[in-house]
Amino acid sequence: MTETGSGAVFRETTAEPRTQAVPLAHVSLELGHLSMEDFEAGPERLREHFARVRPWADTARTVAAAGGRGPRVSTCFLVDEYCTPSATPAALLPVLLAEAERAGLVIDYLARESGCAVADGVPVAEGVGARLVESPPPGSDGSRPPVGQTGWLSNGRRTPGTRTVAAMADAADWQPPAETTARRHSVFLDAELWDAPGGRRVWSCSFLAAVWQLARLGLLRHFGEPVLQPVPWTAGEDFPDDWDALPPVIRLNPSAAPFSAYRTCSVLPSRFLPVEHAVRVVLDQVDVEPHALAQVSERALGEGLAVPEEIPDRISYVFHEGP
Amino acid sequence: MAGPANTGERTEQSPEPVLVFGEVHTCLLQHGQALTGRGAADLLRLRADERVRLSERPNLYVRSPDVPTGVDCHLPSASGAKVRAVGTVTARATLTEGRLLQAGAHCTVTADGPGRRRRWGHYLARPGVVEPFGTLPERDVADGCLGAGRRPGDLDLGAIADRTLTRVLRDRALDNQPPFKSQVTRLRWVALRAADGEGPSLERFTLAGDGLRMAELRLPAGIPAAAAAGLCHDLALHDWLLTTLVRMVERSRLGSTDGRDALTALRPAVDHLMHLWMPAARVDQPLRPLWEALEREPGFTRQWQILVQRIRDQLALQTAAHLQP
Repeated sequence: MTETGSGAVFRETTAEPRTQAVPLAHVSLELGHLSMEDFEAGPERLREHFARVRPWADTARTVAAAGGRGPRVSTCFLVDEYCTPSATPAALLPVLLAEAERAGLVIDYLARESGCAVADGVPVAEGVGARLVESPPPGSDGSRPPVGQTGWLSNGRRTPGTRTVAAMADAADWQPPAETTARRHSVFLDAELWDAPGGRRVWSCSFLAAVWQLARLGLLRHFGEPVLQPVPWTAGEDFPDDWDALPPVIRLNPSAAPFSAYRTCSVLPSRFLPVEHAVRVVLDQVDVEPHALAQVSERALGEGLAVPEEIPDRISYVFHEGP
Repeated sequence: MAGPANTGERTEQSPEPVLVFGEVHTCLLQHGQALTGRGAADLLRLRADERVRLSERPNLYVRSPDVPTGVDCHLPSASGAKVRAVGTVTARATLTEGRLLQAGAHCTVTADGPGRRRRWGHYLARPGVVEPFGTLPERDVADGCLGAGRRPGDLDLGAIADRTLTRVLRDRALDNQPPFKSQVTRLRWVALRAADGEGPSLERFTLAGDGLRMAELRLPAGIPAAAAAGLCHDLALHDWLLTTLVRMVERSRLGSTDGRDALTALRPAVDHLMHLWMPAARVDQPLRPLWEALEREPGFTRQWQILVQRIRDQLALQTAAHLQP
């Protein structure tokens, strides 16, 4: 087990862990990321949603096509059943698919948000959490432990804690927070990744949305194996009455381009902007499995394409009006 | 010193690496029994989603995933020059024969860098690489890393290595009942670029007090920083073995006390240490000649063999005494 791999006569597989590759499309286009309130508002809300999304989805395809011949674009939809209890897949999904179809949209892959926390027994969110390498504020000399234990991640230096009311009253003692790579003035963001009411860790929607982006970018692995991989779902097959009985990601369209892609585009209502800002702050500080990263880059180079080095540069959005 | 892995499109290029430096802490695993491969793999799982590397030939050796730590601070320098640098330090832990625990931190520093901090993603894409603001005074920084040049707030690789060691030692699987007492040793090392056309070399290996050792290497281009770290882990491991066996023989007062007392004192060496000597077992081929420098002067293996022979002779004497009617 050496670094330059000299001495190829003898090898040990346990000393050289392998990372499995995943198939890749050019663009993963997200057609929505809806919570239970959206579904509870009835089919009209979904109809309105897809009607708003349709022109942007068409535009995203046109942009993808501008990159070359025969772009591979796959579409996906995320149902948030993690934070709020909800109606059953059997009650909800047929309505969702019918409304998408009515707007002329095809949902290739459908995922449930709880799969971004734990998928088929694999603690996906925990794995990503362990790969956070915080962007160090100036003065970080390695002597202080990472702040990863708090469940919060920021893009800079926090305001130092004020212990007493007297200190808080003294404005001279107050120091502003600072964004590390601010352009003169800061836009400081501190995102909550999880909390633990009753001792059980509950992941935030922002953190799970970051995991979701990594899945769509084909960058998630657990012990070298891909996770959150789509399971084919036969057309017309009844959806179960329990979300746990539904695989984390299902493939509804047998002829769909691969689920993961070099880039992602998400068409979302504007209210998602703060969540997605947090997603970018998280993605900026995830130390992605290097072999997975290299596989994506090499595949892209083989197709004559370039993938941005930094993960946040691989994701894009269309924010539209609407509830 | 190889550059970072090719990750496709480059927004900004990094200049060439010219200096690698690191620190390795070596100690006895605080546990009654040597761990099996599986136990060692569980212990060194520093990341929830990444496999631990396990090798069983020529001895049992388990290595944790590399864990980066972000830093933005001044580099130590002998002259006191303030050189700010930003990037990540790579830390890893290893366990040899289920017994010897090592935690190391190292980073590669590039020849120069922009006078501003780049986006964090740039540094994350180059794990274990630190970029200076401006031009790196590599000799000055190398001397600062080895000597007493570190001022408060300067990059502290020892703290990162120590934290990694502590994290492993706090594992509940360990019973904190080591078979004998021993010291933690620290090896600080730097590797500067070799002159064009020159091969790798070990320029200095210094035994300082209080378990501190210092090594200075020269590396040609193309030798990965991880290979240099591997060599330094190996040097540190054998230096620890030698240091520990010397102390054990000293404490046993071999030759001056009742043979049976000496035997009791030396028993842990036979049980736990004597089979661990295996220089350059996992050192990359191009760096193996560096071990030979230490074998010539002062002769690490020569000293080890003499100590081992003394212990075996004592055992033979005691056995002979026991057999006499």
